[in-house]
Amino acid sequence: MRALLEFIAKFYHWLVFVALEVAATMLIFRFNNYQGSVWLTTANTVVGTLDSWEREAIRFVHLGQTNTELTRRNLRLEQNVAFLRARLDSLTHDSTVSERLHSQRMEGVDMLQARVITNSVLRRNNLITINVGAADGVEPEQGVVGGTGIVGIVYMVSEHYSIVMPLLNSHFSMSCCLRDSGYFGQLKWDGKDPFFAILDDIPRHARFKIGDIVETSGFSSIFPKGLFVGRVSAIENSDDGLSYRLRIHLGINFSRLDDVCVVRQAFQPELRQLEEQADSAMAAQ
Amino acid sequence: MLITFLQRTLWLVALVALQMMVFNHIHFLGYATPLPYVYLLLLFPLGSNRSAVMAWGFVCGLLCDIVSLTPGIGAAAMTMAAFIQPPLLQLMAPKDAVEDMKPSMRTMGFWPYARYALIITAVFAVTYFAATAFNFFHLRDMGIALASSWAITYALCMLCEAVRSK
Repeated sequence: MRALLEFIAKFYHWLVFVALEVAATMLIFRFNNYQGSVWLTTANTVVGTLDSWEREAIRFVHLGQTNTELTRRNLRLEQNVAFLRARLDSLTHDSTVSERLHSQRMEGVDMLQARVITNSVLRRNNLITINVGAADGVEPEQGVVGGTGIVGIVYMVSEHYSIVMPLLNSHFSMSCCLRDSGYFGQLKWDGKDPFFAILDDIPRHARFKIGDIVETSGFSSIFPKGLFVGRVSAIENSDDGLSYRLRIHLGINFSRLDDVCVVRQAFQPELRQLEEQADSAMAAQ
Repeated sequence: MLITFLQRTLWLVALVALQMMVFNHIHFLGYATPLPYVYLLLLFPLGSNRSAVMAWGFVCGLLCDIVSLTPGIGAAAMTMAAFIQPPLLQLMAPKDAVEDMKPSMRTMGFWPYARYALIITAVFAVTYFAATAFNFFHLRDMGIALASSWAITYALCMLCEAVRSK
């Protein structure tokens, strides 16, 4: 306290100076219009700047809380995005031409949902077991399709299970055609790569290219016309050199096959019966 | 003490009256306005109390402001000049000066006094015109007004001192 008093006594004239200057300055601003307006403008600018700094400081202090809220909101939005993306996928899953055509072709066809019980891709004559059988209306020689193409044909049926002969079986054969040109041939598997099959008997005059789509021809009662099978990945000559042999990259990945559908066409029994009668009549002649 | 006070009061009244009646009406070439009331500060002797000098300067400046309709400007300038007067006089006084030497051409000599008066009037004029203009956008006009007013004020102070010293 004593030191303070000594300090004040020593620098008393400074206090007087400041007090008098402040008083004079106040008089200047209070009673001189020009100086008053300049002061007001400057003071407003300074106060505005200080307010701005204060707001920035407060915002900076609250950044942590804002960040937490943003993170929470971001999480919620990400969940919404994931949900909507899944919904969109389910609604537009068959958005490619092949898949859209696939679903169009399957309209009006009775589809029986099934799950794959056993499956193999490593043998030459692979078979697939599915969890639907005669009790569900499954009969031999009904087609089986997956989400992205043809799987095979029902081979044997029990009460609750069925054996499917897939494309990856050396005994499997079906008629397929090129979507753009319409030329057809026989689809088989050469027992090598589970991702590829062979389309034989394409005429020499046929025009096509790598990447062309191969689909079911509809020449049997098993599959409707236009179901996606795969794409041309290589072009070779047949053994006799009279036609082309196309290597087809299959649409179905048999290694990851899980959900399939059994195709039950309404007039298939009638058509089969008619074909059998025709065969019998021909044999009798 | 009382006589000194009365003398200063007389000087103050006289300077304010002169400012009000004569010098406030002079605007030489539209720029220069004499402000010789700063002469009051030049009268304070060596060893004067700084606070007292500032108080006299403030009052004198305020009175002149009242008669000149420039509230606060003269008071601020006089306070500023009064603040430096005691240490400046201490600095410029002759080595053999008496303790309470009254500054004048006789006691200090012409040139030391001239320098002393020059600095005091300069500080006063700069402060006065800075407070008047309150911006530095028209430096040329401000500089002319400041320099001319300062010159006239300084000349009047020196003239006054010359007359007083005789």
